[in-house]
Amino acid sequence: MTDKYISKDGLNGLIASVKASGGRFVAPVLDTRQVVYKEVSSAEEIVDDYILPRNSYKEIAFPQTEILAKYELTRDGVTIDPVEIVARDTVVFGARPCEAASLASLNSVFTWDFIDETFTKRQEKVVVLSLGCVDADDECFCTTVNLSPASTEGSDVALYETENGYIVTPLTDKGTAFVSAHSDSFTDVAKGEEKKELVNPEKVEGVDLTKLGERLAKSPNYDNPEWAELTRKCCGCGACTYSCPTCHCFDIIDEGTAFEGERRKNWDACQFNHFTLHASGHNPRDTQYKRYRNRFMCKFHIYPTKFNSTGCVGCGRCIRVCPVRLDITDLMTAMSS
Amino acid sequence: MENELREKAKELLESGEVAVVIGYGFNRKKTRITPVFITKPEETDKLVFNELCVNNLSIYLTRKYRDIQKIGRPAIVAKGCDIKNIVVLITEGQTKREDIHILGVTCSGVVYKQELFKGELKPEIMPSKCHNCDVRNPHVADTVIGEKSDFTPPEEPTGMVFDKIKEIDAMSDSARWDFWNEHFNRCIKCYACRQLCSLCYCERCITEKNMPQWIETSAHPRGNLAWNLIRAMHLAGRCTFCGECERGCPVNIPLNLVNQKLVLTVKNAFGFESGIDENVHPPMIVFSEDDNENFIK
Repeated sequence: MTDKYISKDGLNGLIASVKASGGRFVAPVLDTRQVVYKEVSSAEEIVDDYILPRNSYKEIAFPQTEILAKYELTRDGVTIDPVEIVARDTVVFGARPCEAASLASLNSVFTWDFIDETFTKRQEKVVVLSLGCVDADDECFCTTVNLSPASTEGSDVALYETENGYIVTPLTDKGTAFVSAHSDSFTDVAKGEEKKELVNPEKVEGVDLTKLGERLAKSPNYDNPEWAELTRKCCGCGACTYSCPTCHCFDIIDEGTAFEGERRKNWDACQFNHFTLHASGHNPRDTQYKRYRNRFMCKFHIYPTKFNSTGCVGCGRCIRVCPVRLDITDLMTAMSS
Repeated sequence: MENELREKAKELLESGEVAVVIGYGFNRKKTRITPVFITKPEETDKLVFNELCVNNLSIYLTRKYRDIQKIGRPAIVAKGCDIKNIVVLITEGQTKREDIHILGVTCSGVVYKQELFKGELKPEIMPSKCHNCDVRNPHVADTVIGEKSDFTPPEEPTGMVFDKIKEIDAMSDSARWDFWNEHFNRCIKCYACRQLCSLCYCERCITEKNMPQWIETSAHPRGNLAWNLIRAMHLAGRCTFCGECERGCPVNIPLNLVNQKLVLTVKNAFGFESGIDENVHPPMIVFSEDDNENFIK
C-alpha cells in the first residue's frame, strides 16, 4: 500500500470512524501534569509535544489488575466461574518506535510455554500507530540498544510528522487493513508534504551489547562486588518496572472472603522484597542490589538468550521515574568492560 | 562548603571513625544528583551539596539496607529536614545516636523535583517545607558544615500545601471523598512512597502480609484507597513532612497534603512536632496523663 496522509484536524474523523466501528482510540493526553496514554474522543485532547508518555501501553494487553475467575463456597461445594476475556479493538496512536518494539518482546514471554490468552487475545486487537520522534531528551537511549526513531519493529502503521499532519505508512497486514477500513479519513500525500527530521538520541559511550551479554552469561560475574557498589542506592520501589514496556511479571492472588471472592492477576515487580520470599522465610534475593541485578539480567541476558530479543528498548522511562536516579545506562557501561 | 564537607568526610574515613559516608554526588552526565556511598578517603571528591540535593538519605540507615550496614559505621550528609527523620529513627529504636555520624549541612532550600531546576532556585520550584523551614541550621549533628543561615520561617505557615489543606477542609464530605478517590485512583501500587520514606522501615509491610491478605493489593479503587489510608495512619505523629513520598510518586498523587494534615492534627491534639528532640517519644507510642481527653464523649 502506498503512503497516505492525515492532517492533525483530520484525526477527529479517524477517531470518530474508529469509535463508530466499536473500537477505542488511545493517544497521549495530559493528565495531572503528565502525559499519559488514555482513551480519547477528540483530536484536541491529544498532545503532540511529548517525548514519551509516563505509562507504557502494554497495559492495554496486560492490565495492571484483572479478574481471572470468581469463586463461591456453598453447602454444595465450590464453584469457580472463569471470567470471559474482554478484548476490544484498540488503536494506539503516537506510540514511540522504541515502545512499539516492546510488545513483540512481551508476546514472546506470554506465548513461550503456555499461551496466555488474557494477553494474546487483547494484543491481537491492538493496532499500533507509531510516531517517529522529532525530539529526544537526556534519558532516551534507543540507539544504544540498536533501535532508532525510524525503527518499525512491532508497529503496524508508521506515522511521520509533517508541518500540519502525518505521513502514514502501513507496515503490516493489520496496518493495511486498518488504513483501508478507515480510508475516508486518509488522503493521498500532497506534493511538497515533507517529513520532519527524526532526532536520534546520542549513543551511550562504552556500551557493547555483545560484550555485556557475554559478561552476564559467565557465572563468576554474578557475585561480583561491583553489583552492590553500583546499585546499592536502589530504594526498591516498583516505579521502574511498572513504567517499563517490557517488564511482565505478575502475581495471582485471591481477593475476598473464604466464601466468595475473585482471583486476580496483578502486576508484580522483581524489585520488591517479597517477590522471592519463600514460605520458609528464606529469601534468595535478600538485599536490594540482588533484586536490581535480577532486573538487569532479565533485560540483557535472559531475554536475548531465551527469546532472541532485546529486553530493553531504550525508552529511558526507568531513568526518568527513578527517585534515586539509578541510571541503567551506567550499569550497561560498567558491565560492557 | 563542598570542600569543607569533603575534608571532613576524608578525615572521618581516614581515622576509621566511619566506614562509609552516605552523601550526594552527580550522575555520569553531571545533570542530576544521586545518592553516593563513599568508602575510600580518595573518593570523597565525589561528594557535592547544592539545591538539587533533595533526596532524604536517611532511608539508607534503616534495616532494609543490610549490605550498607555490613560496610560499617556510617556518616550521613543530612539537611535539617533529613535530620528530623534520623531523630524519629532514634526515638523509635531503629538506630542509636552514637552509631551514626551526622554531617549536618546548612541549607537554603532545595528543589521540589530535580527536573524543575533550570539553573536557578526560584521560590516557585521549592517545596512548601523549604518556605517554612525551621531547621536550615541542623538541629542535631556531630559536625555542622556550611555558613549559618539567618532565615526565620513565617509565623503562619505559607505555601501551596497549606492553602490546599484549607480548601479541602472547607469541602463537603462527599466532595472530599471524590477529591481523594480521583487522586488515589491513579495509584499504580509501585510503593515508591513507602520505599522513599525512612519511617516506613518495616521489613515486612502490612501489604506484604498475605496469610491472610490484610490489605487488598490490587490497584483498583478499593485497594488504592486502603493502601493510601493505611500508610497515612501509620505515619500519624511520626511523619516529618520531608516530602519524599510525593516527590517519588510517579503518578503525582498529592501526598504532601495528607501528611501535612496529619502533622497539623497531631500538633493541635498533642502539641507535638516530630523529629525535633531525640529524647522525646512520639505521642502515639506513649501515654501521658496530660494527653488531651476531650474526644471522649
